[in-house]
Amino acid sequence: MYLAGMMKRAGIKIVIGVVAVITVLGILRYRPFTGSGAAVVHKGSNKHADRELTVGFLPVTCHLTCPVTDFASKTTATNTNFNSRVFTDFPTVVSALEAKQVQATFMIVPLAMKLREQGVPVKICYLGHRDGSEVVVGKNSKIRSLVDLKGKKVAVPSLFSNQNFVLHKLMVDYQMKPTDINFVVLPPPDMPTSLAAGAIDAYFVGEPFCAKAELDGIGRVLYYARDIWPSFISCALVVHEDLIKSQPDMVQDLVRGIAQSGAWAETHRAEAAKLVAPYYRQDEKVLKYVLTADPKRVSYVNLTPTDKDLARIEDMGLSMGLLTKRTPMDELIDRKFVPDVIREAPIDVAQIPSPKK
Amino acid sequence: MTRQSSPPSTQKVSSRLGRFSSILVLLGLILLWYGISALNLFPAYAFPSPASVLVSFQEELTAGRLLNDIVASLWRVAIGFVLAVGLGVPIGLWLGQHLQARQALVPMLNFFRFLSPLAWIPFAILWFHIGDKPAIFLIFMATFFPMTLATMVAVASIPSIYFRVAKDYNYSGIELLTQVTFPAVLPQVITALRMSYGIAWVVIVAAEMVGCQDGLGYGIWEARNGLRLDSAVCYMIVIGSLGMGIDRLFAELTKLPAVRWGYER
Repeated sequence: MYLAGMMKRAGIKIVIGVVAVITVLGILRYRPFTGSGAAVVHKGSNKHADRELTVGFLPVTCHLTCPVTDFASKTTATNTNFNSRVFTDFPTVVSALEAKQVQATFMIVPLAMKLREQGVPVKICYLGHRDGSEVVVGKNSKIRSLVDLKGKKVAVPSLFSNQNFVLHKLMVDYQMKPTDINFVVLPPPDMPTSLAAGAIDAYFVGEPFCAKAELDGIGRVLYYARDIWPSFISCALVVHEDLIKSQPDMVQDLVRGIAQSGAWAETHRAEAAKLVAPYYRQDEKVLKYVLTADPKRVSYVNLTPTDKDLARIEDMGLSMGLLTKRTPMDELIDRKFVPDVIREAPIDVAQIPSPKK
Repeated sequence: MTRQSSPPSTQKVSSRLGRFSSILVLLGLILLWYGISALNLFPAYAFPSPASVLVSFQEELTAGRLLNDIVASLWRVAIGFVLAVGLGVPIGLWLGQHLQARQALVPMLNFFRFLSPLAWIPFAILWFHIGDKPAIFLIFMATFFPMTLATMVAVASIPSIYFRVAKDYNYSGIELLTQVTFPAVLPQVITALRMSYGIAWVVIVAAEMVGCQDGLGYGIWEARNGLRLDSAVCYMIVIGSLGMGIDRLFAELTKLPAVRWGYER
């Protein structure tokens, strides 16, 4: 009985301890006493927007207009406040979209086609940027053209990336067999280091993961995307049809915002790098290099999706067997939200916060 | 498992010596790290220096991200783990006493135990979307089955004499459970707690790499995306230290008078 009594007391103590720990963690986690989370600050002339939309993006330059639009919606007059939500991989983005946790997001174009094919009702409303991807090889390697990559290992970010599609198209142009190159799928951040370690011989991915290899002295650019496929498209703004149906004016605001942010970024490249660095949590230097070193490296204009552009990507996907069903372009694309005249977003450069050092 | 076989006095001295030597090893490790990075054997992007990690540690701390991530991870582990223990231990106790149920359910439990919790990730996100819930689900899946099985095995291996004595005292039902079965298996249950907590802490880091927007695992993934390995190392240090610290707390449980007998042999 003595032992049992002692156990009872110890047991009560442990239960109290567990409850206390969980309570404290719960309070720290949800902070019920500090009001409703992060209050949205609107400095714009209309003081407050009456609606909000979360837009997903990955920290790649192809999605740069997303955080720019977020910033613009908080500092200029808009009817909708846009919150950019950073994701780190596309599978999570897809799940979030399927679960309708985000109803608008940036994603690689072939993946949007695949989603549509699988019955997820999404539409491509605008593009992320043009070009902005490069084939990178080791700095001192002897590779001079795609033919030299025969039998070598080349990394792509996803099977459903346009980078993968375009390389296959180039292989056809060079009369190479699909098995001539060993393709591996790698997360983009691992590509520069894998190249340096000799685990892969080349990679084809969006910025800033190419610039990183160049700046670190690991790699050099073999092909710019525009050399292989002029006006190369990597990612697009994808919107769930439910949102288009239920709140078309909000989607209108979104596409206008993204388009205007692109027009602004095209002419304010260094400022854009500074603006997005904290959203991306990346080194401003790398982003600035991507945006300013050669203006042809990326471009943020001419981003209305055309049937011709996307049909070309779809054809490639179908011929590679990665897509199985042709989606009619009018089902895939929704251009009605693109404004007739795209002005630059009226971003006040002075309001961009300086990085703290 | 701690074995206390040596007399108290020498044990005290040796534990002090042991602690001192563990600090020495730690210092040596840091020195080695410092040395390798100072010699520039590897390029800086592939091998962050202690100084850069310290800077990023300060950065993450002042931005408030690190604390938020720690709380997020601890919260998910705590909820998932408490759910798994709260369900797993009673089920294990019951299974331990019912041979037929054991024969029916053990293959299934074993099957799920050997499924890596990470294999559940796509479903976790589909079913529970993004945020705390998928991570809690993964923690639960990682710890529930080992907890249940360990408790069950512990019950099944109680010497039958205990139950015969209990019968003499006319114990049955709840009384038998609280007076005989549970105290008898408690030491093994605590060991199982420590082990499954270890699994939970390893899994949370991997689980948070997808489908989350904060947490320690997410911090590492984001550091990778931001091409900031120094920040990744800073998160690794936090994960290791916290895991170790919490394991120390569990180890304290083994010193409770009600269970100490189980470790003194």
